[in-house]
Amino acid sequence: MDRNQLIKWLKAPAKMGHKYSLHAVYFCTGCGIIEVPPSITARWDAERFGVLPVATPRQANLFLITGYVSVKTLRAIIRTYEQMPEPKYSVGFGSCPINGGMYWDSYNTIKHLDKYIPIDGWIAGCMPRPEAIFVAVTHLWTLIDKDMADGYKRYRDHYQAYRANQEHALGKLEWPPLFSNETKS
Amino acid sequence: MQMIEMILSPLLALIIGIFFLGLSRKIMARIQWRYGPPITQPVIDVIRLFSQKSVSHGKLFNLGIIFSLAGSLVLVLFLPLAQICPLSGSGGMLVILYMMLLAPLGIALSGGESANPNTSIGISRKFILALGYEVPLLLILLALMTHYKTISIVHIVSIQQNTGWAFVSLPLLLSGIAYVLILPAILGIRPFEVVQASQEISSGPMAEYGGPFLALATIQHALSLFIGIALFVNLFLGGAGNLLIFFLKMLVVFVLVLFVNAALPRLRIEQAVKYLWRWPTLLAFIGMIIVLIVRR
Repeated sequence: MDRNQLIKWLKAPAKMGHKYSLHAVYFCTGCGIIEVPPSITARWDAERFGVLPVATPRQANLFLITGYVSVKTLRAIIRTYEQMPEPKYSVGFGSCPINGGMYWDSYNTIKHLDKYIPIDGWIAGCMPRPEAIFVAVTHLWTLIDKDMADGYKRYRDHYQAYRANQEHALGKLEWPPLFSNETKS
Repeated sequence: MQMIEMILSPLLALIIGIFFLGLSRKIMARIQWRYGPPITQPVIDVIRLFSQKSVSHGKLFNLGIIFSLAGSLVLVLFLPLAQICPLSGSGGMLVILYMMLLAPLGIALSGGESANPNTSIGISRKFILALGYEVPLLLILLALMTHYKTISIVHIVSIQQNTGWAFVSLPLLLSGIAYVLILPAILGIRPFEVVQASQEISSGPMAEYGGPFLALATIQHALSLFIGIALFVNLFLGGAGNLLIFFLKMLVVFVLVLFVNAALPRLRIEQAVKYLWRWPTLLAFIGMIIVLIVRR
């Protein structure tokens, strides 16, 4: 943890700020949310890493997708992700967002979440232990440090493809595109 | 000299306010048997928030938050911090009473523009809570002004330094207790944390703030913490001769208030107003009558 190295702060204050102030949006998508209360309260205490749950997507920059994603939830996930200010990081939690997990043949569950929104990292397991969240957070720090956590840039660059996938899964979307057509190029 | 003080006093208020924010998170964590974030965590958060982009919901959304921050910064100029008081000659407590309403008003204007239902609920709760604590606060200030025969807060501080704290002087004891009872409501912390109740109304007026807006709102929150405690220290704990003692007095009051914050659950808004209009108002009223009788 290089939180106390003053030279790094003076060199790139924004990057260090993004690393050590990860505010997670408090959005329960599936059963994985049950691992979040122990990890933010007294037993594992995520706040010592600067990870804090906040109530609205506007204040957040970390999005934990905890557990399986039904088609109905996908709509809310996309809206929440688009409301977060950039730079934003999203982490898939559990095996269900990765490839469907135990819901691999369900008619109403999204199998590959990274077709619909960009994901910066995965935590595999069913369920992952709360320690896995901290391993993920430290990995995310490394990724931010090397400019590899660029999901929000990928979303901007390939927005047409993501939007097409979203429309394929959800039908007609009732909100306008986040980025207009010119930005694609 | 006055110019230097005008820059120095808001700067001090900012530093102490942000330090208090960090300290509150650390102390709350230790009370809950957690390790807690580093004490510089609010600074890290503010740096992160300033480096982010956020959507705006209109002109008033941008201006309201600046208006609120400016109101708090100007209010700091009227408060004597130990010997530093740039605007000591003008106004006194009446001005402070008016200026205290500017900060919630700015947040209300700014939040109202975003048209989020949670924001509207938060704003209405903020004003109802202000209505709740302003009644006992006015009675307390009236008792103080009657007892010391002045409206100037600088005079009140200097009289207290000669004759002892107002909090332990007998005619003002009940007013002091009433002020302690409404202090959490003025600071907006836990028994009265109805405005920013993040579990029920998604952090209320802050719901639509992100990026730089939230950074400014955090700084404003730090300033309002500072103002609430500095006012109490000046009015009832006799101010201080130098900055260090002033800061220590504020620290003691703040830590005691934090214990209340850690121990009590959140009241509903109507319970809060019922409480505020019953016990603190009653005590403040009796205190004022005692002051009037003693003065005769």
